[in-house]
Amino acid sequence: MIFQFFHAPTSGMLTSQLYCATHRAMATEYSLYLYAESEPRADTLTNLAFQEIDRIENLLSHYREASELSRINREAAQAGVTTDPETFHFLENCLAWSERSHGAFDITVGSLLKCWGFFEGEGALPSVNEISRERNRVGWHQIRLDPERRTVRFLAKGIALDPGGIGKGYAVDRAIQILKSRGVFAAMLSSGSSTIYALGAPPGEPGWKVHVPLPGAGSKTLSTVTLRDTSLSTANLSEKNFIHDGHLYGSIMDPRTLRPVERTLQVTAISPRAIDSDALSNALFVLDTADRASLLEQMPHVSALVLTDRQNPSYEAIRWPAQITGLPPAQKKTFEEMNCL
Amino acid sequence: MNRRRLLQGLSLSVLSAKFASTSPLYAQAADAQSEPTQPISANDRINVGVIGPGSRGQELIRQLLRTPGVEIAAVCDVYPPIFTDVNELVGKKVPAYLDSEEFLTRKDLDAIFIATPPVFHAQYAIAAMKSGRPVYGEKTLGFSTEDSQNVVDTVTKTGQLFQIGHQMRYASWVRDSVERVHRGEIGEPTQVYAYYHRSDDWRREVPDPRLEHLFNWRLYRESSGGLFEELGSHSIDIANWVFQEQPQDVMGKTSIAVYNDGRTVGDNVQAILGYSKGRHMFFSSITDNRLTGNQVWVYGTHGSLQITGEDATFYRKRGKTITAASHEHAIVRGLKTGASYNPNGAMPYRGPGDPVPIKHYEEPTLTACKAFIQCVRTKQQPFANADVGFRSATPCSTGKHAFDEGLVMKIPQLRGLSKG
Repeated sequence: MIFQFFHAPTSGMLTSQLYCATHRAMATEYSLYLYAESEPRADTLTNLAFQEIDRIENLLSHYREASELSRINREAAQAGVTTDPETFHFLENCLAWSERSHGAFDITVGSLLKCWGFFEGEGALPSVNEISRERNRVGWHQIRLDPERRTVRFLAKGIALDPGGIGKGYAVDRAIQILKSRGVFAAMLSSGSSTIYALGAPPGEPGWKVHVPLPGAGSKTLSTVTLRDTSLSTANLSEKNFIHDGHLYGSIMDPRTLRPVERTLQVTAISPRAIDSDALSNALFVLDTADRASLLEQMPHVSALVLTDRQNPSYEAIRWPAQITGLPPAQKKTFEEMNCL
Repeated sequence: MNRRRLLQGLSLSVLSAKFASTSPLYAQAADAQSEPTQPISANDRINVGVIGPGSRGQELIRQLLRTPGVEIAAVCDVYPPIFTDVNELVGKKVPAYLDSEEFLTRKDLDAIFIATPPVFHAQYAIAAMKSGRPVYGEKTLGFSTEDSQNVVDTVTKTGQLFQIGHQMRYASWVRDSVERVHRGEIGEPTQVYAYYHRSDDWRREVPDPRLEHLFNWRLYRESSGGLFEELGSHSIDIANWVFQEQPQDVMGKTSIAVYNDGRTVGDNVQAILGYSKGRHMFFSSITDNRLTGNQVWVYGTHGSLQITGEDATFYRKRGKTITAASHEHAIVRGLKTGASYNPNGAMPYRGPGDPVPIKHYEEPTLTACKAFIQCVRTKQQPFANADVGFRSATPCSTGKHAFDEGLVMKIPQLRGLSKG
């Protein structure tokens, strides 16, 4: 279903109107706002964008047995799996992010997420032995990509690739590419609000306004940014987590400790490509302050806003392009008490 | 062929006639002899050429790129912008041809994949086989019964390998299911009900209105058999496999119920195909579906089987049905019924069914492509050979006339089996 919005058109865009549509994919809801000259045109463009997202889901979903990523997960420990260039380049991107972040971002966390009950579940505390068994199954160094033969090989059994920290960003990039190639001048595509791409700007506006929420504060906003031809991704604890003995465990894992990240509440990253902002938000979530600074120093075109410390929430803003509207009055409450769920 | 005219709006019907009657390739290929060939080593690269790398052709290329030892060596199409998509998909510049004759003169092509609109399938398949190459041809085998017979005859004459694009034959759960049906697990299969729906207008975006027929060839009768041919042929193939024969006759209806947008094929179709011993297949396809898109149900004397694109499930009667013969009337869920009504008869099985274990899950098109490449290496005829293609294509080509005339029409049978 397409919804139509009114806007005051400006010269050159006199016939355009704003349309909105949603689509369920990758276990989340994608929202697309776009300007088009008619509803049939908006329908066509929306269908093309959502078809591309579905195609990426069929390519990368580890929940779908028929996906290429699932095939690699099943077969790559036995022998090198020949894959298509798109999947191969996607995996190259993943490993590049692992290298750049010194393992903070790692697509091999699939088995670890299962161990912590986050695969098709809301999480559960594993035993120490169960966690230690994951040591050999997690680690981007155990993936071998052979560009000559375009093969993927796992060096250990039990490795499971999980594109959760990067796949939605890639899907957003691909769908935006489709819209660009069709001449769309203004659109905003959001994957469940975790990754957003702002293409162009609404008529008469400098860009698309995006509110970065304050975790645990209902609808309160931490910062409002204006995006144009760039992406924004947010990683936080609110999507999947569980509380055990009063302690909250999130689903963003530190691949190095094999445990959920404890220190970080939320990371929002802005980067020209959605695949990068998605991966970066997850990497920054895992890294500590010093390593975050070190990583971001190498990337002058990205911005980040990091909210840390469950006991006494505070933020780090790195090249952040907008005002921070402050933390809630009840910031002395613990994160669990703030009930971010 | 005057490609400029095509790009200015030449319809596919004209294009088809021009190809079929005057193409030098056609005449040249008729004289060509297949060279005797040896099995190809598993380590040798197989160079594949693709005629018609549109949306389906690109899906085949994608799966071939996942097949070890395969190189996409060249592509051929009448619409040049498509080559950019191919290059992006393959990750490098692929030699591209507008002229199929020139394309087939390449010496380095070990196999040809054909994914053009079906109106061109037979002529390209025949030309490619006569040029000495194995062919993977998308369904349907031919646009007319004569086309399909000609492809089978060419397989026989040239001894070439031919695989039809019925990839569901290569899905492990479909194969296991049909084998279990043949072993009698649901008794005697008597009926097949299948539907294959779409949830949109089946229309493709056209960058220039003059290219409407080129892009939306599926919507026009001169280039498409509509939903029955494009989707129904897959379901018919499974019914043929289950019944181990091709249907004898076909009847049905098709209409444009929703999309009065200039198309000349229906946006819905319902067909009944008759097999021997009173067995039937019912097929339906609509474009306004919002639920499961593709299912084949096989009903047997002792059970039922449901096949989808992802799995298969057996359902069997459990226990003995209790009749209600001693009651004059029974009240079932507030409904006053006759004594002969037995709720167990309407729903004899209420459990989750018996899922077919999937030993090796793989995208069926990938498995089909791998199987074909293996056949190219070993010189063995594929499982889904030209005969299989004939038996699913001819009900479609006959069905078009049956729907038009409102008649039950006999389906021509295969004249002589291919070497496969």
